[in-house]
Amino acid sequence: MLRSAIILAGVFGFGMTAAEIKFIANPSVKVAELTTEELKRVFLIKTNSLRDGSHVEPVIGQGSPAYEIFLKQYLGKNDSALTTYYLSLVFTGKALMPKLLASDAEVIAYVTKTKGTVGYVIASANTPGLRSMAIK
Amino acid sequence: MKRIRLIVPIIVLQLGPGSTLLRAQFSFKNRPVQIHGFAAQGFAKSDNNNYLTMDTSSGTFAFTDGGVNATMQVTNRFRIGAQVYVRDIGSLGEWRPTIDWAVADYKINDWLGIRGGKVKTVFGLYNDSQDLAFLHTWAILPQSLYPLDLRSSTIAHLGGDLYGDRPLPKGLGSVGYTVYSGRRFVDKYGGYRNVAEQAGAHMESITGLMAGADVRWNNPTLGLTLGASWLRMPFKGNGTIGALEVPATFRVNSRSAAFYVDYSNRGLHLTGERSRGSGATSITGLPGVPIIEQNSIGWYASAAYRISSKLEIGTYHSRFISDTSEDWNDPSNHIVDQTITARIDIDRHWSVKAEMHVIDGFGSVYSARGFYLKQNPGGFERKTNLFILRAGYTF
Repeated sequence: MLRSAIILAGVFGFGMTAAEIKFIANPSVKVAELTTEELKRVFLIKTNSLRDGSHVEPVIGQGSPAYEIFLKQYLGKNDSALTTYYLSLVFTGKALMPKLLASDAEVIAYVTKTKGTVGYVIASANTPGLRSMAIK
Repeated sequence: MKRIRLIVPIIVLQLGPGSTLLRAQFSFKNRPVQIHGFAAQGFAKSDNNNYLTMDTSSGTFAFTDGGVNATMQVTNRFRIGAQVYVRDIGSLGEWRPTIDWAVADYKINDWLGIRGGKVKTVFGLYNDSQDLAFLHTWAILPQSLYPLDLRSSTIAHLGGDLYGDRPLPKGLGSVGYTVYSGRRFVDKYGGYRNVAEQAGAHMESITGLMAGADVRWNNPTLGLTLGASWLRMPFKGNGTIGALEVPATFRVNSRSAAFYVDYSNRGLHLTGERSRGSGATSITGLPGVPIIEQNSIGWYASAAYRISSKLEIGTYHSRFISDTSEDWNDPSNHIVDQTITARIDIDRHWSVKAEMHVIDGFGSVYSARGFYLKQNPGGFERKTNLFILRAGYTF
């Protein structure tokens, strides 16, 4: 029974660590690594450019198994707080809603075809042609 | 023969189980255009006093508002958008739609951007989002700082902002700023009409400017925001005074400052704000009337906790003093509000809030804040217990 519980926890993402998600970028993104502060600024739409001046657009996999670990380990917000944050920008005219997708497959497909995008998926996801970004 | 190219926007309505926020999105010349909206319907019932121009002593559903916006990212740096807002809350709004904001925004870099048009005014934590009930735990924000009936005086300006956000080294977060100037708007269907009437005046026109700034330090790692805002609003009004309708011109020099702190960690959300306002009013047309100076102060502290993705509970204590030079304990000089709220998020679009207010005092006729003689012709009771139920939908 304990073994089943551990397997289920893995399936549902419970107990995932930061090492078990990876950040992916469209090949147009030349920056190979970001600091955690830079990553926060990108996903909180405080910046739309990277340190080399290139345009960047965050992609949020709300349906990804990695979503909760992304929220907790990288943004320090829960789902409700992040949604409220984005809505406050949209409804006061300060930003568009970032791309919100329902699964790792959608995130991979969107990042593959869209220049300047950065997203996250579980580490074991197959991401052909996409660059993995190191977060330090 | 000249070819005519039709550009047909493909409107994608995203909806489905486990899906993200519903919105309408389409592309125009390969640039994204998003449409979002919201609507809220409330019910309010009080035991004493009618509040916020509503017939709350009888129980009322005249508590509706909503809006819709469209925004287009024209280039990576340039964005345009507009939002229309409508409300019918007691005698406020009267279902007349207004342009809530209409903005052209160009971002030069992270620490310098320019936006112009009808721009929401940044003052305190929530001035620019005070209408957006779905963003907040509360059915109504603390009225000491965000009076629903007087929103039009500070909600937006016709002018421009400079804004930016500068990261600090060593994980210290960032500092954001907004500096703005413009012409103020007057809502003929807002609370100031009632304030003027109960002060014995009738305002026919109001014109004026507003200028201010906001600076805030954000540290997402700590979940902490500290900030301060300043606002100056000199304005002039023409109207009449008294039963004889003597023509008069009012000149008001108004200044406000606010200081705030906001802390979030896991499900806990703590907030504190304090605002001080001062106004000097001179009236011409009536000889011998001295300059009226009034200093007010408002503050609140709130705590909320998200128990689950569906349920958040919270409480706030809010105080407003109409005139700091008068007796703070006099109910005609203060409004103290202790509130408890439960917010239920049914899904990403629907929310319902149940909220209880225990209010002491009714404030001065010169600064209203929800208590008007027009809706309370027999005068005010000291205590008001108010229940609000408010449902909202967002897309």
